[in-house]
Parts: sequence; structure tokens; C-alpha cells
Amino acid sequence: MSGLFAAAQEAIGAIEAGPQGPGVGAFFDLDGTLVAGYTAATFYGDRLKGREVSPAEFLRTVVTAVDGELGGDPTRIAHVAFSALRGESEEAFADLGERLFRSKIAGTIRRESRALVAAHQRAGHTVAVASAATSYQVAPVARDLGVEHLVCTRLVVEDGQFTGETDGPMLWGRHKASGVRAFAKEHGIELADSYAYGNGYEDVAFLSSVGHPTALNPHRDLRAAAARLGWPVLDLSDPVGGSLVAAGRTVAALASMNAGVTAGVAYGLARGNRREGRNLAVKLATALPMAVAGVSMDVLHQERLWTHRPAIFVANHQSSLDIPVLGRLLERDFTIVAKKEARWDPRAVVGSVVIDPAWIDRSDSASARETLDGVVERIRAGTSLMIFPEGTRSPTPVLGPFRKGAFHLAAQAGVPVVPVVLRNTGELMGRSSLVLNPGVVDVCVLEPETDWSTDDMSERIAALRAKFEETLARWPA
Amino acid sequence: MTSSTTSSDDVERWGTAATWSAGAELTPVQTLLWRSERHPVQSSTSTVVIDLDRVPDWKRFVAATEWGTGLVRRLRQRVVDPVVPTAPPTWADDPTFDLGYHLRRERVASRDEMLAAAAQVALRPFDRSRPLWEGVLFEVGDSGAGYVLKIHHALADPLGTVQLLSMLQSGRRAHTARKPLGEDAAAPASVDPVELAVAGLRTDAATLASSAVGTARSLLATRPSTVVASGLRYGASLRRLLTQVAPPSPELSPRTGKQWTFLTLDAPLDQLRTVARQGGGTLDDAAVALVLGGLRRYHRRRDSAVAEVPVGVRVSLDRADDLGNRFTGATISGPLTIEDPVDRVAAVRGEVLSLHTERALEVLDATAPVVNRLPAFVGASVLRAAVAPDAFVTTLPGPPRRRFMAGAAVQGMYVLGPLPGAALTVCLVTCADTACIGVNVDASAIADVAGLRECLAEEVAAFDG
Repeated sequence: MSGLFAAAQEAIGAIEAGPQGPGVGAFFDLDGTLVAGYTAATFYGDRLKGREVSPAEFLRTVVTAVDGELGGDPTRIAHVAFSALRGESEEAFADLGERLFRSKIAGTIRRESRALVAAHQRAGHTVAVASAATSYQVAPVARDLGVEHLVCTRLVVEDGQFTGETDGPMLWGRHKASGVRAFAKEHGIELADSYAYGNGYEDVAFLSSVGHPTALNPHRDLRAAAARLGWPVLDLSDPVGGSLVAAGRTVAALASMNAGVTAGVAYGLARGNRREGRNLAVKLATALPMAVAGVSMDVLHQERLWTHRPAIFVANHQSSLDIPVLGRLLERDFTIVAKKEARWDPRAVVGSVVIDPAWIDRSDSASARETLDGVVERIRAGTSLMIFPEGTRSPTPVLGPFRKGAFHLAAQAGVPVVPVVLRNTGELMGRSSLVLNPGVVDVCVLEPETDWSTDDMSERIAALRAKFEETLARWPA
Repeated sequence: MTSSTTSSDDVERWGTAATWSAGAELTPVQTLLWRSERHPVQSSTSTVVIDLDRVPDWKRFVAATEWGTGLVRRLRQRVVDPVVPTAPPTWADDPTFDLGYHLRRERVASRDEMLAAAAQVALRPFDRSRPLWEGVLFEVGDSGAGYVLKIHHALADPLGTVQLLSMLQSGRRAHTARKPLGEDAAAPASVDPVELAVAGLRTDAATLASSAVGTARSLLATRPSTVVASGLRYGASLRRLLTQVAPPSPELSPRTGKQWTFLTLDAPLDQLRTVARQGGGTLDDAAVALVLGGLRRYHRRRDSAVAEVPVGVRVSLDRADDLGNRFTGATISGPLTIEDPVDRVAAVRGEVLSLHTERALEVLDATAPVVNRLPAFVGASVLRAAVAPDAFVTTLPGPPRRRFMAGAAVQGMYVLGPLPGAALTVCLVTCADTACIGVNVDASAIADVAGLRECLAEEVAAFDG
């Protein structure tokens, strides 16, 4: 689990060895290629849940879908969906796209697809998402991957409302291929040097437009065609979805976390040493649930966690799992800064009793500053601090901007900053998920950075953020 | 190149020709075509027109043909059908073979007249009880000449015909004295149609039982849901292959299939190959794109806005770019909307490769053995079930170097295929550095045949840059 699969690694090696620069295109299909599953199904599911679908429309959709499977026109199902959008507001639909991206689709982006996209971006290639889906499905994914170009189906909008028609053909099958060729002509891309990734049987024409086609997690019929055509097939792992077993393990993990805390605190009380009791509680409360949930860690440069204490530990944040993982890493003598609103979050309440966080009230800057002054004192007294400089969890492994607070504290307290990069916690436990999946968390502790001052703080933060990005893009061996 | 090495090349090639098409029975597809033939509407006749640089000596030409039929035994054999279709038809030596019946000469005023005469030769049905070929040597005008060879699909498909001719022609102008001869009659001189039917029935009875047991076993071994699922997928694929192509163009209708008109064009092969490479395709793709370009011009000229037409192409059943032994016909939607030849090649490439996702691609090959057991008219209707495309396009590899026939140099070799329901059939033969394009046009479907010829010629020029 740590690192990419050999096949993906090999493909990335070939990209790095091949021609570089914007004259080379890299075209990624969306559904089933960049993301596991169908984004359209997510959208439709949402309409169904919202009771926006009449029984007649539902029946028509099902019949059309089945007919498409049985050799009828497979694009008709999409046109049924498009015409059902007539009269709806484009803005509201775009918002829905963003909402569904954060809550559902972000978690289905394949890690190795992301690595492939990043490899093409490093090579300076012109990367585009080429999909029959609409821009409302494609754009949030493309933005998250840092992909600028979309070759996708466009819907006609008049006065802010959908007309139910498409602008030009739906970019499916041959139309996607011709869309890609037109894009290449427009952007001066040499197709013979370019790459394309697709999974559907309708993607053959699209794939055959370029010199380096890859059938990625291909549909049965594309797999057969790829064998005949001599195209490489790449099978990537899907993001882990919550299973019933995983859900059961999560409940057990929560229970064991509480048991760990209770045991630790009781031990501390019995020995008359609250600090030791707290440390033991942290150890038990993080080690037990992770063991129960089947989560282990693969840590690079673990020694750096201990050489510079007290310190401010900064980590990227994409999952609720980050907190127990960091707790397990830091083990003792640390606390966190948390927003006041989180004080009564049932997932945090047990931990907060133990590690005594510094609560800040974001709405009141005077009290926030006061709290932080108190924190500086605690750091000087030997308690390390753990902070997520992105502020909130990001829905995907893409880094958000870093806030300055953590680094100001480091300057004031005169302690070093120890950067901790977490790779795949979001895959084991999604942003808004309550289910923890078994797996190995990849952790890399970067070189601690000392002597923080306000003079060059912005530049140093930017440089540090770049190091995070670099580490996430090319995980050190 | 010295004449002696050329000569040894020739001898080696002629040796291969002697072993050409040695099987005694017709293959299932050949049988289907043989039994379903309704000339000329459902014809299996191909015609080759060969331009020669001078009139060959007639005696030498007859002698060479006599030698050729001795070398390639099949040219002296006829097809014997069993009285009831329990067995495939069989090749047997024709005891009454007479070269004079199959080869003659005529004089015409111009090449156009020769092409018109060739179409008439092609339209005349074969005597199915004799060897299935006919050759006419035309003396054209004052000094030119042309040889027209009409050949039945059961004897050789267009690919085989070109192969056969390439093999039989000589690498030099001078006469080769000691040419190899074929072995004496291997096939039985006479085959009795009743005996053939009875023998077929006997084998059927023996194999049918065991194959039924085999089928039952394999059905029991697999889960019913798997069988149903794979059957549904096969059916879906078949439906896509048969129905999901463009409707026929009104500009290429109505077709009677009875007014064959032959056109020929030449294109520089290098340039075609360059365009093919730029579009990421093969020479086959470029040939289809060329024909589509011509049809695009023709439709624009007649103010028709048809966006795509169904085109019949040949697809390999093995690897995509290897037109080896196993290939089948399939229909693609050919775009008439793309002006740039390179982009058109890429589009054609995408359509052709997409066929490889269809599990039902092999359906004609797979059903032929079964359909052949049915009376002729049923087999014929199976062939008709697949909607005929507007055009068939094929590419055939011809001789890589200049060849001679009885002292006359071959200047061009054009294959004019049959019109099984299509408005035009186009065959591109590679002949040294030239693509020889033969077009058989159904004049009842195309209002302006001369206009179509101009459009195709303009497209050849467009490919030339």
C-alpha cells in the first residue's frame, strides 16, 4: 500500500523519459478513469433523493439505460437527463456540482490517476480532461487536479437557465475523439507524441487519436480490443470505500479509544501524576483504535519527531484520521489548537479532556490573541503544539493555502517547526466519512526548520508549502 | 538487377503459385457466397483490368495462359455441388476444359471503350459448370493493350486474384524457357453430386451427436446467469454492428445493382502513405478517407447536407494492423463533414478500431457453417440482413515491382469488385509506386457518374498536397 503499484510507477517512468513540454498532450477520461465509478450516477442519485424525479421520468431513464446496454444508442440516456434539466438554473446546478464534489466525488479520485496527472504536469505537458460528462461534473475534479483544460459536453444556457439541449454533439465515442483532435490543432499539440487514458469501450476512437494510448481499468470490451490492438493496459487500485466490516471496526475503534482514555486517566489518578496519566491516555487512545481498525503507519525519518522538542508540528489535513495518527506519532507532551466550535464535537470530546487543547474563538480576535499568549507560555514550558496550517480539512490530497498562525507562534516561542507530511489518510477515512478503512498510512517527517522571524516569514512558509507539495508528488523512497 | 536473379525470383514465385489454393472443399464463407449468388445483384465476381504498354504477341499470350492454367490447377477445375446441401461443394477437374472457351481477344478504339466492354464482360453470368474465370485481351487503338480477367469469388477473392496475377506475371520482358509445371491432376477427375451429399450426411450424423453432447456439457458446467449475460452482450454487440451506422445517402440511391460502370484512377502511393501516417492510420484507412473525401465533394456539388454514410471496410480478426488470414467485413459510419484529409484518416481510424470492441465481429465467419446447411435462399437472406453500405472500400497489395505479361509491361492493375447492394465498390491495389484505384459504380444510383469521377480525382489531388 505504501508507494504506488509497480505498473503505475513504470508508466510514470516512461512519461519522465519521454518528450517534455506543452507540445505533448495528455488526455484523461473522467468517469472510470480519473475517478472510480460514474459521476452522472452521483448526480442522478442526488436528484432521486431530492424527489426531483417523477416516476415517469425514472421509468424512462431506466428503460433507456437498459436499452443502451442492450445495443441501443447509449448516449440517449444522457439526452434524457439533459432534457430533464430544461428550465433549471445553471448557477444552482454548478453549486450542486461543487457540493457533490466535496461530499462524494472527491473521495473517488484514484490516487494513481492523480500521480499520472502530476507526472504529466511535471513534464510540462498540456493536460486536459476529455469527457462526455458536462463541465459541471468535470470542472471541480479538473480544478482539484490542477488541470486547466476541459474537452467536454457543453449544455446550452439561455438567461441563466438550461434549454435541455447540448451545444454541439455530446462528446461520446467518435465525437470525443474529434473534440480532442480539434483541441490538439488549436493548442499546437503533436498527437503522435501525446498520451490518452480511457476505460470505456467507446473510448477506442479517442485513444487511437494519440501515439500513446493506455486502457486504464478498462471495461471488458475495451480490454479485449486493447489486447488485439497491442495497447498497454493499466489496472489501478480503487479508493477504498467503506464496507460493513470497516464500519464495525470503526465502532470498535471508537469504543477502544474511550477505553484507552479512561484507563490512562485512571492510571494517572492512581499514581498521582496527571501528566503521566495524560501521556499514557494519549498512547492508549491512539494506539488501540488504530490497531482495532487495522490501520498501521509507515514513517520516514521518525527520529525527527524527537530531536527538536518542544516544537510546533505542522501537518497537512484531509481526514479525521489525521488527529489519532499524529497523536500516535507525537506520543507525549503535546497539545493542539482547536477552534472553539469543535469543543463539543462528539469525536473530539474524549480527546479534549485528555490533551487539554487551547481553544480559540475565531470570532473574537482579542480573546484569540490572549489564548495564544497562554499557548506560548505552555510551549516554553515544554509542551509541543500540533497545528494544521491549512485550517480545515481539504476534500482531496491537494494542499490548501497555509495560514501564518503556527509560524508566528514558533517565532514568539522561539521553537522550531517540524513539518509532517501525511499521504493517504483521506483514502482510509474520507473527509466527511465516519468510517475508517484498514490500511497503511504513509508519513514523512521533513527536516525541522528553526529560527523563525516575522521578517522572511511569508517566503519561508511558501517554501515549506512547496516542500509539502513536492513530497506528496514524489514520495521519497 | 541482372536478368538471371529476376528469373530465379520468378521461378520461386511460380513454384508458390503451383501450390496455391490446394484444398478440395470450398470454405464455409466461399460456400455461402457460392450458394447465395444471384448475379449480378448478389454477385461474387471480381474483374481485373490490366493496362499493358504494348500489344503482346497473341500466340505467346495463349501459350503463357495455357502454362498458367497447368501450373495453377484450380483454373482448370469446376465446382461440384452435392444434390442436397449436406456437404460443402468440392473442386474437381473439368474433363472438358478448353482454353478457347475462357480466353479470347477483341479490338476497341479507346481505353474508355475497353472499360465499358469490361463491365459488360463482368455482368455476364458464369457458366457454373465450368472453371470460373474468363479473360479478354483488348487491343486498344493503335498500339495500346489491356487484359481483362473476370474471376469468381469461389475461385479467388480479390486479394487472392491479385496475388495469383502477381505470381503468374514475369519479372522480365523476355520469354523464360524452362518454366516449372504443375503436378498432374491431384483431385479426382469426376465427383458425383449424389455421392457427395451422402458422404456429407454421414459425417454430419457422426459429428452432430458428439457436438450436441459437448454443447450440453459446457452449458451444464457454466452458470445459467453467465450464459444469459454473455448471450445478451453478444446480442447487444450484434445489434450495434447491424443498426448503429449511418442511414444510406439519398444521393447514392436507388440501387438496382445491374448497371455496373467501371472507373479507374491513379494516386501516388508515397503521398497516400504520408497522409495515412500523419493521421495515425494505415493505407486502408487512407483509402477509406480518400473515397469519403470524393463522396464529400460529390454531395456538396449536389447541395446535399448528408453528414455521414455507411462504408463497408475490411477488419482483421487477429491483430488490428495485420490483415493476415482472418478478416471480416464490417460497416462504419464514414464522416462527410471533415475537410482535412489527415483529420479524416484519424476519424476513419477511430471508427475501424472501435469495431474491435464488438464481440459479434466474427459473426459472419461463425454462422457460415450453420447457414450453409440451409437451402440457398435462406442463406442469401442472411447475407441481406446486414444492411448494405453505400460503398465498399478495400486495399490489396499488388506486385512491388514492374511486371510483364508475354513481353508487355504491366502499367496498372485495377480490381473492380462486385456491387452487393452498395452504390460503389472501390479497390485500391498497390502497384510499385502507384495506387491503382478501381471503382465499380452502380449507374442507377448515381445521377452524375462523370461528376463523381471528377470529385474522386479532385480528392486524389487534395491528398497530393
